[in-house]
Amino acid sequence: MMHSRMAGVAGAMLLALFAVGPAAAQDKPPLTVGAIYVGSVNDYGYNRSMKDGLEEMKRAIPGLKLIEAENVPETAESERVMEGMIQQGAKLIFATSFGHQQFAFNLAKTHPDVYFEHAGGWMQAPNFGNFFGATQAAWYPMGVAAGKMTKSNTLGFVVGVPIGYALGNVNAFEMGALSVNPAAKTRVVVTGGWSDKAKEAAAANALIDQGADVVTMHVDSPATIIQAAESRNAYSIGFQSIEAKQLAPKYWITGLGFTWGPFMTDTAKSVMAGTFKPAMVRLGLGQGMMAVAPFGPAVPADVKTLVTAAADKVGHGFNPFTGPVTDNTGTVRIPAGETWGGDKMGNFDWYVEGVIGKAK
Amino acid sequence: MNTALVVGILAGAIMSGTSLLYATLGEIVGERGGIVNLGLEGILLIGAASGFATTAVTSSPYLGVAAAMGAGAAANLIFAYVVVSRHANQLAAGLSLMFFGIGLSALIGRPFVGALITGLPHLAVPGFASGGFATRLLSYDVLVYLALPTAAFTWWLIFRTRWGLGLRTVGESPAIAFAAGLRPQTLQYQALAFAGALSGLAGAHMSLAVTLTWADGMTGGRGFIAIALVIFAKWNPLWAVAGALLFGGAEGLQLQLQAAGADVSPFIMNMVPYLLTLLVLILWGWRRQATAPMALGRNFVGVE
Repeated sequence: MMHSRMAGVAGAMLLALFAVGPAAAQDKPPLTVGAIYVGSVNDYGYNRSMKDGLEEMKRAIPGLKLIEAENVPETAESERVMEGMIQQGAKLIFATSFGHQQFAFNLAKTHPDVYFEHAGGWMQAPNFGNFFGATQAAWYPMGVAAGKMTKSNTLGFVVGVPIGYALGNVNAFEMGALSVNPAAKTRVVVTGGWSDKAKEAAAANALIDQGADVVTMHVDSPATIIQAAESRNAYSIGFQSIEAKQLAPKYWITGLGFTWGPFMTDTAKSVMAGTFKPAMVRLGLGQGMMAVAPFGPAVPADVKTLVTAAADKVGHGFNPFTGPVTDNTGTVRIPAGETWGGDKMGNFDWYVEGVIGKAK
Repeated sequence: MNTALVVGILAGAIMSGTSLLYATLGEIVGERGGIVNLGLEGILLIGAASGFATTAVTSSPYLGVAAAMGAGAAANLIFAYVVVSRHANQLAAGLSLMFFGIGLSALIGRPFVGALITGLPHLAVPGFASGGFATRLLSYDVLVYLALPTAAFTWWLIFRTRWGLGLRTVGESPAIAFAAGLRPQTLQYQALAFAGALSGLAGAHMSLAVTLTWADGMTGGRGFIAIALVIFAKWNPLWAVAGALLFGGAEGLQLQLQAAGADVSPFIMNMVPYLLTLLVLILWGWRRQATAPMALGRNFVGVE
C-alpha cells in the first residue's frame, strides 16, 4: 500500500543513517551479518520470527555483528539499504521478504564475495541461496487442534491474499480437522491485503457471526485477528511467530511458527568456514524450520497429545496431499497414487472438500 | 440471507461506519467554512497513532481518545495557518498535510508496534449483555453511542447557531461575511480546529476499538472515502449518518458474504465498496453545484 510504503521508505532511510554511525574501533567481528525486514519486528508475526532466528544465530556465534533495518520496502530502496550494510562489512545478508529477492540478487552479482540468503524465493547463484518453511503440511496438526476444540464444527480462516501457498495452508488445515472431526467445516474470508487491520478485524467478526468458534489466519501479523477472536470468546490459532500466545490469555489454542535460528546459524558458520553452498532449502515441522507454539490454558491433555502426534507424523514425512484428494465442488484434484509437495504447493487454486469458500 | 448475516452486516456497518462518520462530520464543518482538507487521511492516522500511543503509555483508552482529538486539532491548526493565514493553495496544502500525517503517525507509532492495549470497552445496552445476536447488535464502545448525538450536534451547530450562520456565510462568500462584520479567518480557524478534533476521534476509534493494534497507514484510504461522503451527504451532517452506514456496510457486506459462503469470487467481492463509491458519485453527481458552498476551495485574502 502506498502509505505504508512511503512511511517505510522514510523509516528505512532514517535507520540506514543511524546504522552508519558507530563503526570501527572495536575488535573485528568474526562475521558481520546484515538483515532487512519488510515491517516492524514487533509484529508478533513474520518479521518477529525472522528477528528471533537472527538473535538465536547471534547468541550461537560469539562476537558476530548483526546489522538490521526494519520497514525496508520491496523496492530498489532495499538494494540501497543492503549496499549500505555491505559497506559496513556485511559478508552475509538475509533478505527476509519475498519482494526483496530481485534486489538482493542484483547485489549478489556485483558483490561476489558477499553471500545472500533470501526467504521464500527461487533464484540461485554461487553466492545466493534461498530458504523457507514447508508450511502447508505443517498446518495439518493445527487443523487437528481446531477440529478437536470446536463445538460448532465451524472453523474460520482469514486469508490476506489468495495465493496458492495460502490456499494450501487452508486445505491442510481443513484436512487435519476432518481427520479428527468429520463434521468440521472451514469458512474462508479473503481481505485482499497482507496487512489491512480494519478488514482483518471485520473478517474475524464475520466468521464468528457465521458460527466459527475457532479462528486462524494467514496474514502478516496475527495480532488484530487474535484479539478480535478473544474479545468475542472465540478460540484462536496463530501463525508466523510462536510468540502470539500472550495476545489471547483465555482462548489461545496453539499456533504454527517459523524457527529460523538453526538454519541461520548453520549458514553463518558455513560462510565463516568458506563452505557456503547455495541451495533451495524448504524445511518443515521436525526439520528445524517450523514449530508448534505452546498450548493455551483451555486445551485438554488429550488434544495436546493428538496435536503433538500429528506434528510428529508430519515431521516424519506424512503428506496430507496424497491422492485421492477432492475439491469442494466434488472434482478429484489429486488422483490416487499421486502426491503434491514442494513446488506444487504454490499451485492451489481450489479448496478441499469441507472448505466453504470460493478460491478464484 | 440468514439472521447471522443480517446482524453481522448491521453490526459491521455500525462499527466501521462510526469512524467514517466522525471524519465526514469534521470535513463537513471545514468545507462549510470554505476549506477543502484533502489531508484528512493524514489527520486520521495522527489520531489513530497518538490515541494508541497514549493508551499504551497510560493504560487509559479515554485519555487516548482525548490525546487523539488534541493531536488532530493541532495538526489541523497547522493546516489552517498554511491556508488561512498564508493563503496557500488548499489542494496542495491538503496533500502535503496527508504526507505529513503519514510520516508523523509512523514516527509516533513506531515504538508502539506490537504493544498490547486494552481498547475502549464494549458497553452493552442494559438487558442485552447475555450473548447471541442481541449482544452483537447492541454492544459497542462509547464512541459508537456518541456518533449520532455528535452528528445532531454538528447539524445544530451549523444550521441553528449564530456561529454556524457566520461559518456558512464565510463558506458562501467571505467578502460578504467580512462586510457584515464577521471575521472570516477566525471562523475558519475555529472550524478547522473542531474538524481536526473530530477527525482525530475517527482515527482513535479505528485503533482503540476496531484493530487494537497500530500499523503504518492503517486507515487504508478511509479519509478519502470520507471526503467523497461529504459530497454524498450534500454537506449536511444528518445525511452523513446515512452515508457512513452505507459505506461502512459495503465494506462489511463483502466480508460477511464471504464468511457466509456466497458463491462469488473473492476478487469481485473486494471491489464492492469501490464500485459503490463510483455508483453513488454517478447518481449524485449532478446535485453538487446546487449544494456545495460557493467559496469552497478559494482563499479569502482580506478586503483591502
